[in-house]
Amino acid sequence: MEPVRYDDRQEIISLPLQPAAARKRRNWKKYLYAGLLLLPLLLFILGFFVVPMLYILYLSFIEMKGETNAVYSIGNYIQFFTDPYYLHSLWLTIKVSLYTVIVSLLLGYPVALTMAKCSPRVRGLLTLLVASPLLISIVVRNFGWYLLLLPNGTIHQLLTSLGITESPPKLLFSEAGVVIGLSNAYLPFMILSIATSLYNIDPSLEKAAAILGAGPLRSFVSITLPLSLPGIVSGIVLVFSMSMSAYVTPALMGGANVPMLPVVAYDQIINLLRWTYGSAVSYVLLGITLAIVTIFTRMMERGRYREVFR
Amino acid sequence: MQALANDVEIRGVYKRIGRNVILDGIDLEVKQGELLTLLGPSGCGKTSTLNVIAGFLDIDQGDVFIKGQRVTDVPAYKRGLGMVFQTYSLFPHMTVYENLDFGLSLRKVAKDEKKRRIQKALELVKMTGLENRYPRELSGGQRQRVAIARALVVQPTLLLLDEPLSNLDAKLRHELRAEIKRLQKEVGVTTIFVTHDQEEALSMSDRIVVMNKGKIEQVGTPTEIYAHPRTEFVFQFIGKSNQLEGTVKSRDSRMICVELAEGGQVLVEAENVMGSDRSCAVGDAVKLYIRPEKLTIQAAENEAPHYNAHAATIVQLNYLGSAWEIEVSMLGKRMQVLRPSIESGWTIGTEVMVGWNPSDMMIVKK
Repeated sequence: MEPVRYDDRQEIISLPLQPAAARKRRNWKKYLYAGLLLLPLLLFILGFFVVPMLYILYLSFIEMKGETNAVYSIGNYIQFFTDPYYLHSLWLTIKVSLYTVIVSLLLGYPVALTMAKCSPRVRGLLTLLVASPLLISIVVRNFGWYLLLLPNGTIHQLLTSLGITESPPKLLFSEAGVVIGLSNAYLPFMILSIATSLYNIDPSLEKAAAILGAGPLRSFVSITLPLSLPGIVSGIVLVFSMSMSAYVTPALMGGANVPMLPVVAYDQIINLLRWTYGSAVSYVLLGITLAIVTIFTRMMERGRYREVFR
Repeated sequence: MQALANDVEIRGVYKRIGRNVILDGIDLEVKQGELLTLLGPSGCGKTSTLNVIAGFLDIDQGDVFIKGQRVTDVPAYKRGLGMVFQTYSLFPHMTVYENLDFGLSLRKVAKDEKKRRIQKALELVKMTGLENRYPRELSGGQRQRVAIARALVVQPTLLLLDEPLSNLDAKLRHELRAEIKRLQKEVGVTTIFVTHDQEEALSMSDRIVVMNKGKIEQVGTPTEIYAHPRTEFVFQFIGKSNQLEGTVKSRDSRMICVELAEGGQVLVEAENVMGSDRSCAVGDAVKLYIRPEKLTIQAAENEAPHYNAHAATIVQLNYLGSAWEIEVSMLGKRMQVLRPSIESGWTIGTEVMVGWNPSDMMIVKK
């Protein structure tokens, strides 16, 4: 039983001095001011995000019968889920995004761990290094990879001249190339979100584990890793949803061989002028991404380590 | 292997970080079953000393023995100790039961035995019935109780407590202080306790180690430390003090007579010389210290009961409930006197007589 704190009693005494009506009025004013401050942003989001999104949703339910005859229907969606080409494209998008998540998690976690362990000065420097790719346009970075991964490009020449392999694997215009490009682009997000959750772990927990007899590996597996789960989950969600919706990298480094959904949607709308079908593709992508992310986070939040998400 | 009577022995431990000497030649022995407190201001090296014993801090020189085994190079996770931290340090993703189970599982204790020991440890800290709570769902005091149980359940050779009470409010601190003392005696585990709170140290310890600037100032029982501090630092750190200055006028084997800078003379017992060499010769400039509760105060017209008695004027009266704190002006200096009661009619400006016993005053060469 918690004893009654002195503060609580004061609260009780001070209540009658402040009539409920007066407090309500003040709260109402507070919300009004906050609302006024947010108004410009709200208008911006409404005009340039919500309205276009609703318009695209509207378009996706219009089916074109011939050149000019349009009817409301869910035909676009039926077409998507019955055509093996589009289903394959959806599966491909999910697969490439998952690979990207795995690669950036495996590459990112050790970096985040290093950042959490080092001195504040080195940490600042590492943060800058990790974030520095974000300063360069993704198009420029992708062209860099393009040159490196080209058949007979730098990496192929390196592999053959070192005698590692006679016929190097196809990197450009393949899933591997897209995964490399996407991992490179989104690694900083993974690293920084894991690092943030690692910073929040009380360093004395590791000491407590050690004094109870846990060696470094055991301490990592039982303490550090579970406690960094919130960062891992948010990193995964970030990288996964960004990979799902990535356009530049799949277009440049996958080409026609890796038709991920954003590329397909773009193609439908810009090249084939099938606006309504392209809109449906976009919404399928959005829905699937949201569903996967939601199911994943729910599972984590209700799983073995639900306590760390509180 | 050496056979040692002490549970812990630290010999000549020296540690430098950058240009700062953190530990400057620490020699320390901890006897079996005792509660030893490391006491000192922040940055004095008390926590570093504890970390050296725990194995969290590598040392530049010296040796550490636990139960006669040299453990200087043994990592913390192989030392088999128990430790309680200032921030409780319970694993937030584990229940109370799982927290206690962590160390036992690593020691591969059989399942039934584990259950029995966890139950016993929780009984010991009066936390039975909360096994399935998460640390988030416990109050500060409860968390620290669980932390203590987690440290004890593995039956450590040594219990280390790193300021375990400093995050709790005053009432809880008092409660847990008594609790830890009781537990320690009940379990009989050799315990090293780190604190900056002198009251905590005095009330809990079998022996106190007072540290300052990476060195040990004095080791002794609470009464020794309080009544017979060996250095000026110890005197000032433990409890309140009044200070006077003067020159040694004469001395014999029993008494030292000091001529005060502000006029008047005082007698001090020759045994009460503090300082590293404890020297004090005629002509030396000295500082004199006396605690507020060792000063007596009475109406000016009464005859002086002590060798040392001086006229004084009351300048402030503070009622503390259990005592009166009387501030007087004496020999041009402000002095604090602590008395359980005052005479009726005393007020600011009343002339009084302040006296004290020569055995209660400490003296140190300037």
